[in-house]
This record gives sequence, structure tokens and C-alpha cells, in this order.
Amino acid sequence: MGSVGPLEKQLRRYWPLLSLAAILFVIVLVVDATGDVLLQRTVADGLIKLIIVVGIYVFMGNSGVLSFGSIVYMMVGAYAAAWMTLLPNLKKFTLPGLPDFLINTQLDPLPALILAGLVAAVVALVVALAIMRTNPIAISIATFAVLAGGYTVYNNWERVTLGTSSIIGLPMYVNMWICFYWALIVMGIAFFYQISRFGLALRASREDPVAAQAFGINIYVQRVIAFTLSGFIVGIAGVLHGHFLGILTVAAFWVPLTFITLAMLVVGGQNSLAGAVVGVVVITAATEVFRQLEKGAEIGSLVLQFPLGIQEIILGVIMLLIMMFRPAGIMGGREIPWPFGRPKPPRAAVTESVEAVEAAKPRAGD
Amino acid sequence: MSEAAQTAVKDDTERLETNAVSVHFEGLAALEDLSLSLGKNEVFGLIGPNGSGKTTFVNVVTGFQKPTRGTVLLGGLDVTGWSAHRIGRRGLARTFQAVRLFRELTVIENLEIAAVGMGLGRRQAEKRAFEILAWMAFAHKAYDQADTLPYGEERRVGIGRALATAPRFVLLDEPAAGLTDAECDELMQLISRIPKDFGCGVLLIEHNMRVIMGVCQRIHVIESGKTITEGTPDEIQSNPEVIRAYLGTKSEKRRA
Amino acid sequence: MTFFFQIVIDAVSLGSLYALTALGIGLLFGILRLINFAHGNFITIGAYALIVPSTAVVATPFIGAWAWFLMIPAIIAIVIVVALGTERIAFRPLRGANMSSLLIASFAVSYVLDHVIILIFTGRPKAVNVGAELARHISFLDLRVPAIQLVTIAAAIILLGGLALFLKRTSYGIQMRAAAEDFDTARLLGVRANTVIALAFAISGLLAAVVSLIFITQTGILSFRMSLNLVIVAFISTVIGGIGSLVGAAAGGFLVGVASVVLQTVLPDDYKLTRDAFVFGFVVLVLIFRPDGLIVTRAVRERV
Repeated sequence: MGSVGPLEKQLRRYWPLLSLAAILFVIVLVVDATGDVLLQRTVADGLIKLIIVVGIYVFMGNSGVLSFGSIVYMMVGAYAAAWMTLLPNLKKFTLPGLPDFLINTQLDPLPALILAGLVAAVVALVVALAIMRTNPIAISIATFAVLAGGYTVYNNWERVTLGTSSIIGLPMYVNMWICFYWALIVMGIAFFYQISRFGLALRASREDPVAAQAFGINIYVQRVIAFTLSGFIVGIAGVLHGHFLGILTVAAFWVPLTFITLAMLVVGGQNSLAGAVVGVVVITAATEVFRQLEKGAEIGSLVLQFPLGIQEIILGVIMLLIMMFRPAGIMGGREIPWPFGRPKPPRAAVTESVEAVEAAKPRAGD
Repeated sequence: MSEAAQTAVKDDTERLETNAVSVHFEGLAALEDLSLSLGKNEVFGLIGPNGSGKTTFVNVVTGFQKPTRGTVLLGGLDVTGWSAHRIGRRGLARTFQAVRLFRELTVIENLEIAAVGMGLGRRQAEKRAFEILAWMAFAHKAYDQADTLPYGEERRVGIGRALATAPRFVLLDEPAAGLTDAECDELMQLISRIPKDFGCGVLLIEHNMRVIMGVCQRIHVIESGKTITEGTPDEIQSNPEVIRAYLGTKSEKRRA
Repeated sequence: MTFFFQIVIDAVSLGSLYALTALGIGLLFGILRLINFAHGNFITIGAYALIVPSTAVVATPFIGAWAWFLMIPAIIAIVIVVALGTERIAFRPLRGANMSSLLIASFAVSYVLDHVIILIFTGRPKAVNVGAELARHISFLDLRVPAIQLVTIAAAIILLGGLALFLKRTSYGIQMRAAAEDFDTARLLGVRANTVIALAFAISGLLAAVVSLIFITQTGILSFRMSLNLVIVAFISTVIGGIGSLVGAAAGGFLVGVASVVLQTVLPDDYKLTRDAFVFGFVVLVLIFRPDGLIVTRAVRERV
């Protein structure tokens, strides 16, 4: 057996993250090279969805508790960033309900993004403190009730959100590469959380809540931590969304987006980061292919064209089939495996193991 | 002796005690005035026929069930009515009848979680987990996923997981259930080494008389929630009441 | 005093509508742990079945033009067939799957049905006029009550009463209650899974059909998302009432309906539009203080 260098050990440890980052990098690089602006926008949009899905995964994947409500934190983040980055003169007239200090400031994109993420995290923290004590089903429904409540509030809070109309004029600094960088950062956050003791503790509670409690794990606290982190990540996705489109509408943060992001996570496999990422890639790619087919595609002398609207039906059917034949998702709860064999336990532990067996033998019948 | 033992709590005069613990379900007494006490240098057995209240007792001691009356003392501290995770952190570890491993995680992660639950960081937890695996000669399966293990090994990992918490006391809930005779022998060796190597008392709840008589220094017998007697294996085996209540009937059938 | 009675009738009628919807969802949730988002599609399809299938902007009544004693059974039959169809094609192969798979599956079914409707009828809302005679008000002393509200309340009483009798008195009813409380044990006791589940879907379809007729009479607008809010409220009500408890589901729906109308009345004008936010806030409070719902069944307790 060859000795395992420290470099290989580190590589192996971070492989699940590095491999996913590499896959995304290749996709973004290739799309960048095509120079197809429309395709680049599709990929940027897909990467924003990826950030949402990774955010949902941080809570849902590690805790095993279904969360329907994540999109509300995206909305909170998106609007918070808009309040911080719009021109003061614009805000004075269109959003008179904002407090003066918000009307008069205009932050740079990066501080605004991080602050808005923190605002979303704080909202998520407050919600989590309230609801995480109950049983998983009640938590799921409560997250949904919070989504529905938040949606109603923003839809009617004319003086700061413009209600059912759109806020326009957000600085449009977000492009495909910026989405890619944030996707990497967010995947990093999710990965380091997952291998931290907090992530491990929460995954234990997912596998067996009774045993987890017996081993000193406070499930309430662990769920609150994950939910807050999840709110932060999804909030950042909201910020990017707003500054990518330059326009914000409350209606965007509702059941259809909840559905598509949850579907991406579950289709990819909700129990691993790789599942979250693969789900987004696969569904985004499938949607794009169907969209092309609707326009009509030539395969040799054959012209294949879908009737408008059939792509959603096919997508729905594919999701159903995946749920039937691969309920744990495409990745089945696994990360991308290290291609060069299984990890080996430290040699000291194995030698001591052998000694332990030897030492035990004479004592048999003690 | 491994390093695992050295990190164990040093005060070996501590005891795990229950005083007159009673549990009533809708007027029915599942446990009635159960008192017992064990030290850190012994393996203490609790036996009784099915439905005698052993499971209820386990749930009370580990914080999954509040007693109607009575107190549980862990190292002199009253932990009655504490939540399960606090009792776990205080130094009482346990195994489960149904094993309850974290099935989609690896063996080493299962042990790490127990150490993490005590407040250790990931690296220290990993180190400790490997020490325990080395102690029980199981390091070669560290990276196997828990739900791929055969039944007997699952139970072994369950005990390792309990020990990874560096507990003051460990409660083993029917660890021999479903094991072959050979596996029982291995288990007995393992259990009898725990007090010596970890400075940790063992409360063993078990049906298998061979295991109980083979490893326990003292045995407490209950029936219908009440104490019948307590004594050394020899005393228990010759106690006519125990034989009538338990040994002569159910255990024989069970072992057959 | 008149005002007070007006409010009571508003509250009871909205509560009835929610209760009927919640019961349809609660029935499947109790038995299968299925949060059936497609229930909304059942309601929507019931309403769309009233008109001639076409992409035309103006809706031409089809079944909607029939006499009521033909129209009602026809709509009920159509929705039941759709409900049974989703069970057979989508949910039966997923029997025993975990909650999130089931939820995503129901999302997927709902998504497919949404787009089937868009494909046939387009996504544009369409006006449809059904049961115009029910829109007029009935005067009673000083009260002027829309007839449809009375019909809603009557429908709820008849259906809930009928369902209660069915569940209490018939063999299938008892099997269904047992299955809702504890499906695994019920199966061990000889409850036939396929029959009970198909029956539950059929009843769920029946309830959806009635809700869709009431709802379309009230609003007059067909849209593929017409039932979304109704379903969201209902599915939250199910949990407030208590998972697995059918009485709880109906009571939860009723309670949320009443709470909505009361809030609508007592909230200052500035806040009226955010009424639903208060309703959902109230839901969260109930869940915090009674996580197992108002009526606790064996279904939610876990053994150590």
C-alpha cells in the first residue's frame, strides 16, 4: 500500500466540492466560448437557481425536514438589496414608506449583497426560533404558512415594495460569471457546513432523531442553525436575481419557483450537495433542450418540433418517473466519489486493532 | 490500554442511582419504587421477564420518559426529568434495542457524532472515534456505510458509538438479542473490558442468561415493575423466587 | 345586530368552503401522507369541464348549459375519474415512498395537469356564467344574503353529514378511518389497501367537484390557477386540525374560514389587504403551541 501524502488526503477530503466546482466551471467556460448571449443568460439564471437549491439543501438535505418556504427569504433578500442600491431620488418618490436612512443611502453592490443576505438570515432565524421545536410535518407546513404570509405582506406593502407592480431601475451588474463565483462560494459554505460538527449533528438527527438526542444533540438548536444559514444563502440568490433582471416583482417569489427549485433538489437527490447541483444542471439542461425543440430542431433531414406548452408536460412526467424509479434522486444521496479507491483508516488504528484482538484472546472466559 | 480510556472522567467514586422511581400510565403502574445503584468499576445487570418494566426504566434513566415519582442521580447530580440530550451530555451513554445507527452515514461518522454531541470538534472527534474502533478491533470497517453491516456488527458499532462519548456510565439495552453463541462470546469480552479500560460503569439490560451471568458482578431482578431481589450471579441463580418468576419459565424458552 | 348576522353567515359560508376543501386533502394526507397539491387541479378541472374545450377567448358553456340535475352529477363524475386516474397512474407506483417524494410527485402531477389545461384552454382567464340564479340575494328580515352562501352551507352540511355517516356506519367507512389513523396497523388487520385508497381518492374527487361548482358560481372566472389559494389554505388547515383526523381537517378548515372573516371585519382598513398574513401568522401560532394539531391522533406519536 502506497503511503498517502498530505496533498492527496486534502484533495480527497474536498473532492465532493472540487469535482462539482470543476463541472460547473467547464459548463460556464464552454457557454462563454459560444458567445451566445441568450444561452449565457439561461446559464446565469440556472446558476441563480442553483444557489437557491443549495440553500434549500443546507436545511432540507441535512435535516430531512421538508421546507416549502425558502423562497420567502429570497424575496426578503432581493427587496432588501433593492432598497439599499436604488437611486435615492428614485426611492423618495416610488418607495416613500422606506425609513429615511434607507432612502438616503446608496450602497455598492457587494456590501448591499452581503447585508441583504444577513437580513434574510435574521428573518429566517426568527422564524426558525419560533417553529423548529415542533414535529417535522408541522415545521414543513409552518414554513409554507410563512411563505404565504410573507408573500401577502409584500404584495400589499405598496409603500416599500410597490405591491403588485414592479420595482425597476436596479443596477444590473450581475452576469453569468458573477453568478458562477457566487455559486462557488455558496457551494463552499454548504460543503464546509456539511462536514462541520454542526452539519454532522443535524444529519444524525435526520437519520435517527431518538438516537441523536441520546448522544447529546440538541435537534432544535441544530435545525435553527441550518435554517438560518439556508436563509442567508437563499437571500443572496434573491439579491442576484434582482440585479440580474434589473426588475423586481413579488409575483416571482411564489409557488411556481418553490416548485421548480424543490423539484430540482429532489430529482437530483436531496441528501447530498452533489444531488442539489446535479438536479439543477439536469433540469435546466432538459428545459433548454425542450425550448429549442419548441422552436424546431433539425436532425438530419428530419425537422422535430414540439407543440407549444408540451415541454412542461414532459418535464412533469420525467419528474414523476424519477420519483418512481429513483426515489432517492439521481445521485441517491451520495457525493461524487473519489475516483482512486476507498479511503483507508489511519495505520495506527489498524495496528492497534490487531493488538486489541490479540490482547483480548487470553482473557476469554474472564 | 488506549488513549480513549485516559480521557475518561477520573472520579471513579461516582455512582448512577435511582431512588424509588415509579411510572404510572393512566393509573397502571409500569414501575413501582425501583431503586438501584451502580459504580464505575462494575457491570451491573438488570433482568426481568417481558413486560416487567425494563424498557420503561431505560426510558426514565435516559430522559425519554418522566417518572411519576422518584429521582435519578448521575454522579450525585439530580437529573430527573432532564431532556435526553442533556442527560447524554452529562455522561450517560446508551445503546438501543433496535440499535438505531445513523444508517446512511459511515461507521466512523456514527462514532464521531457521539463525540461531537459531547462538544468535541470534528478533528478531535475523528481521532477519538478511531481510538474506539481500534479498541474494539473494528478500524478496518471505518468507512463502511452503517446500513451495509451485518446485524452482529451493527450492535458492536452501537456499543462503540456509546463509548465514543467518553461516558461516566453506559446503558446497554439488550445487546445480545439476535446474536449467535460465538458473537455472544465476543460481546461478553467486550463488555467486561469496559469498566477497566474506560473507567465507565455498565448497566446491562439483557435477556440472555449466559451473557448476564457471565459478565455481571451484581444483578437486579424485577417483575411487574417491582424489585424481586438483587445479588451476585450465584445468589440470583439460587434464589427460588427468581427461578419461579423468571429463570424456570421464560428464559429457558428464550434460549432454546 | 343585522351586521352581526351578516358576518356570521359570511364566516360560516367561507368556513364551509374551506372545510370541504380541507377534508378532500386531509383524507389523502391521513392515509397516504400525501400532501396532494393536485387537489387544486381537481377543482380547476371540475370548473373547466363546464365549457367547450377550445382555445377561444370567450368561453362557450357545454356541461354548464345543462340542467342542474344533469350538470352536477356530470361534473362530479368527471372529477372522480380524474382523481382515480392520478391515483392509478401516478400515486399507486409510489406507495410507501417518503413524504418528500410524494409531495414532489403531487407537485409534478399538478404541473402536468396545469399545462394540459393551458394546452387545451390557453392560460388566459375566461369568464363563465354558471348558476346565475344563485347570485341573487335572498332577503330575510333585514338580512340580504346571497343565495350561493346558503347553498354553500347546505352543501357542507349534507356532505359532511353524509361522510360522517359513511365513516361511522359502513364497513368501508370504518376501514378508511382505521387507515387514516394508522395505515400499517390497519393493513395488518385486513384492510384492503387498494380499495380504501381508491375510495379515498374518489371521495376526494367528489368533494373537489362540489367545491369547484360552488367556487365558480361565486367568482365566475376560470383560470388555471383559480384554486391555488383555496388549496394552500386548506392544506394548512389540515395540519392545524390534526394530522390523520378527518374531523380535525374539517374543523381546521372551518376555523381558518371563520378567522379570515372575523379578521376582515375587525382589522383596520390599512391592514385589511394583509388579512391572509394574519391568518397565516395565527396558523404558525397554533403549530407552535399545539404541534400535533388541535386533535391529536395516534398517527403522529413516535415510539422510542
